[in-house]
Amino acid sequence: MQRLAFTAIVGVMSAGMMFAPTTATAQRSAPPGGAYQKVSALVPLPDYLPGLGTLYVDPATLPAGPFLAYDHAGQLVSSIYMIPLKDMNAKKGFSNLKAAHANVDHVDIVYNAGHPGVAEPHYHLIVWYVSPARAAQLSK
Amino acid sequence: MSASSRRAFLKAGGLALAGLGLGSRREAFAAALSDVRSGSDLALELIAMRSDPLGAHVWFDPIGLFVRPGTTVRWTVRQNVHTATAYHPRNDHHPLRIPTGATPWDSKFLVNPGDHFEVTLTVPGVYDYYCAPHEAAGMVGRIVVGKPGGPGAQPFGYWKGDAGTENWREVPDAARAAFPSIARIMAQHRVHVERRRD
Repeated sequence: MQRLAFTAIVGVMSAGMMFAPTTATAQRSAPPGGAYQKVSALVPLPDYLPGLGTLYVDPATLPAGPFLAYDHAGQLVSSIYMIPLKDMNAKKGFSNLKAAHANVDHVDIVYNAGHPGVAEPHYHLIVWYVSPARAAQLSK
Repeated sequence: MSASSRRAFLKAGGLALAGLGLGSRREAFAAALSDVRSGSDLALELIAMRSDPLGAHVWFDPIGLFVRPGTTVRWTVRQNVHTATAYHPRNDHHPLRIPTGATPWDSKFLVNPGDHFEVTLTVPGVYDYYCAPHEAAGMVGRIVVGKPGGPGAQPFGYWKGDAGTENWREVPDAARAAFPSIARIMAQHRVHVERRRD
């Protein structure tokens, strides 16, 4: 499981660091468009999740995502990948996960007990495009 | 989903009231309602639905409760998104773990802090319930009404091999480990999850 987690994390970080200016503008402001839908319209969750922001996801990519997160001003702050523990324990791999086209600042890996949409214990792999100080402001 | 959309009334061996979504006025309303109930000799017990800020740890507080028949139990969201859902085959094929004469309940998702759900429990016995998005993480609770008994007092796999139970789901390991024992509930009447270090 540890090897899988490491591989997934490295893959996510590498993908997140890619830069594609042709689509960058579209995803840096909410709504991201395309197949992305507001998560609160798909499952019973608040529009704004303290600590994360307002999330959008392409339902076809559930549960892994990415979930694109935006701050109160509608600016992209992170991409979140949600990996169920049972998939990690089963040594399941995740390849070619999409990434937002922005420069990565840092990555958080956070355990979550579950929530509507991913109702089982899982990890959030959060690829931040803003500093830890700005990320902390999302709790308000 | 708005708080008002979750307003509902139902019977569960008595009267239940759901999801008023009172926001910042919830405490005042709770106090007023408690006064009204005490004046009419009706009991009200409160259970908080909690979470740490990251959503890593989730729990009902208290997790174990003893009440007299006719007591109304109210679950209130403090953090995160939760449900209070009875272990019953009508609730997504979960095993029967409430008295056979009681009506199952499901609060549905309570999304905002202060959203709450009530049920009045009149049939004596053990009532096991869970939070739908957090059952696998062990967010469950147990209420003893009057005296222990019924399916909730049986071992978790008591129903295996019985006709009509083929599509019942197993209680997850983390949930099994989280339930307080009936003996502890009878001794303490209110059982709280031990204080978390994080």
